[in-house]
Amino acid sequence: MEAYRQEIIIGAVLAYMLFCVATGLWAMRRTHSSSDFFIAGRGLGPIVVALALFSSTLSGFGFVGGPGLVYSIGVSSFWMVVISSTGYAVGFFLVAKRIRMIAELRDCLSLPDVVAARYGSEAVRLLIAITIVLGVMGYLATQILAMAVVMQAILSGTETFANIGLVACVAISSAVLIFYCVTGGIIASVYTDVVQGGIMMIAGLLILITASSVFDGGLQEASAIILADDSEAIMPFGAAGVMASLGWFFVFGLGLAGQPHLITKMMMNRNMADNRRILPMSLFGYVMAALLWISIGIVMRAAVIDGVVPPLALPDDAASTFLSVFANPLLAGVVFAGLFAAIMSTSDAFLNIGTAAIIHDIPKAIRGHSVKNELFWARVVTVILAAVAAGFALYSHFQDATLVALLGAFGWGTFAASIFPVVAVGLNWRGATVPGAVTAIVAALSINFFVQLAGITPPWGISGPLIAFISSMILFIGISLVTRRPELPDDIDRVLDI
Amino acid sequence: MHRSIIHWIFAICTAMGLILLAIALAEPTPNAGGLPHPDYPGMVIGGDGAERLADIGILAFLFQSLLLLLIVSLSILGISEERRSPKFMAYMVASFIFMLFIWWQMYSNHQLFLETGETGYFLGFPTATAWQVYGTWLCAIPLIILYSVGFRQFVFSEEDEAKFQALLEESRNQS
Repeated sequence: MEAYRQEIIIGAVLAYMLFCVATGLWAMRRTHSSSDFFIAGRGLGPIVVALALFSSTLSGFGFVGGPGLVYSIGVSSFWMVVISSTGYAVGFFLVAKRIRMIAELRDCLSLPDVVAARYGSEAVRLLIAITIVLGVMGYLATQILAMAVVMQAILSGTETFANIGLVACVAISSAVLIFYCVTGGIIASVYTDVVQGGIMMIAGLLILITASSVFDGGLQEASAIILADDSEAIMPFGAAGVMASLGWFFVFGLGLAGQPHLITKMMMNRNMADNRRILPMSLFGYVMAALLWISIGIVMRAAVIDGVVPPLALPDDAASTFLSVFANPLLAGVVFAGLFAAIMSTSDAFLNIGTAAIIHDIPKAIRGHSVKNELFWARVVTVILAAVAAGFALYSHFQDATLVALLGAFGWGTFAASIFPVVAVGLNWRGATVPGAVTAIVAALSINFFVQLAGITPPWGISGPLIAFISSMILFIGISLVTRRPELPDDIDRVLDI
Repeated sequence: MHRSIIHWIFAICTAMGLILLAIALAEPTPNAGGLPHPDYPGMVIGGDGAERLADIGILAFLFQSLLLLLIVSLSILGISEERRSPKFMAYMVASFIFMLFIWWQMYSNHQLFLETGETGYFLGFPTATAWQVYGTWLCAIPLIILYSVGFRQFVFSEEDEAKFQALLEESRNQS
């Protein structure tokens, strides 16, 4: 079997891509309106929503970047993972019920729709839509680039594709992504999420078992090797230090309820009472899948220190090196398919919310109505958005990484800082005002942009998104408290009572 | 109560902002955010843990304690005001104490290691890290149990569902 390792991996990835194409075609038959395209007609069952939620949370970053971070900075990066229970809990307490109620009551297709209904303000809708578009471009470009780089690494191991270029890999991966996003919209996305979620949970468990067998003494021996080399790396705050760790707890924990691609999925369930089951199921899935992140990272750091494997050229090579050195070829195939699944489903979710912002929300905020024939334009804009993101990805790789890095800064942290106060707090507090919301969003965007553009590195590992998040929370509540309490429409007022 | 909980959240956020400012103004140690590993490119080491916690350890402990309080306060905000019974509030206070206990165990076990250089292991990790990995994952379990098991009592009762259905009906009739 070892002799066919590369073929098994390629077969698994190819099988997954064919599955994506087939799912796109199947979902196309179920996509009759923009409501189907963007929010699956609010008709999804609890298992589908639960798996879609957790698998969208763990993008390709969880498979490649996560283990790489543990290899690089040790336990510090665990904080991004172990906050998941708190993050999901806060997200469900604050958002799941009211976003679903307002979505049904006002027939909302997107997060900016919900925000506009809550605040009665097109300015807030516009700002949230712009934030989403900026974030989506950065996220998408990095996801497409990651997918192409992994594809090139896999294919170049074969004789036939030994010299395949990155441009060809971007073209192939973008083509599959565009096909299934355009045909099936969010329905295709959530059903591939189900498969992805299943793959990720199985892979997480099998990887933990494999990682535990690398050293005779299991994970404890790996921990002891790291402890002997640098004790802080395996202690709770890791090599990056206490404030970097606690900052991640804050931004990744609370910030989960500010991620538009996640909370939009809270609008899609058929029955609101299903939320009681969706929360524990999502969390269970995430914990299972995150075992991969933790176990690969720890074992690879220990293996390099112990001389079992040579030092890695890049921390992000941790997962692929682990799979090629320690994992059974079948398991490696499953994990690589899972990696592609993670990237594809996250990309699809971002394409979906980005498209909604462009054809639905920005025109509504500016002209008072969205474009005609939304479903047609949704498909057109999906293609354009993916093509532009692929272009960004290539430009970033070959010319200048600044642009994508800058847009990438509009990732999780910026979504958290600008959307959490306005949505998660605003949906639960009548006193939230438009000036408070506008100030919070503008401050969050400005702080993140400024820290990134000026190349500022705050001391003690404090991150720009942490500063932005705390500032936006203080400004949102503070300004709302000192501005006139708004008169809410009767239906929204009654929703806030429930 | 609604007003006081938002004031409470505002006060917590402001206090966290001030603590963050105080930490940012403290003179950082060379290894505050880690140092490059001398032998392996791409790896970072933490170095002397006691040194980098000496000046800001207490502030960091307070920051995280306030964050846990913020999490519980936000969860309370997410529950309809009329369902915030004394029983519910007692449960939330207990949840906060449970979270704080886990955080304290993690922090104090780390301090103990920094003082003695010795540690036990639990399920693959040094004791302090095991509190972080398993304890932090488990610390929100009381909130999740309340949400799932107490869903019909606190989050979305049959009465709430009826109210919402009536609102939907009205809205459809009007349009």
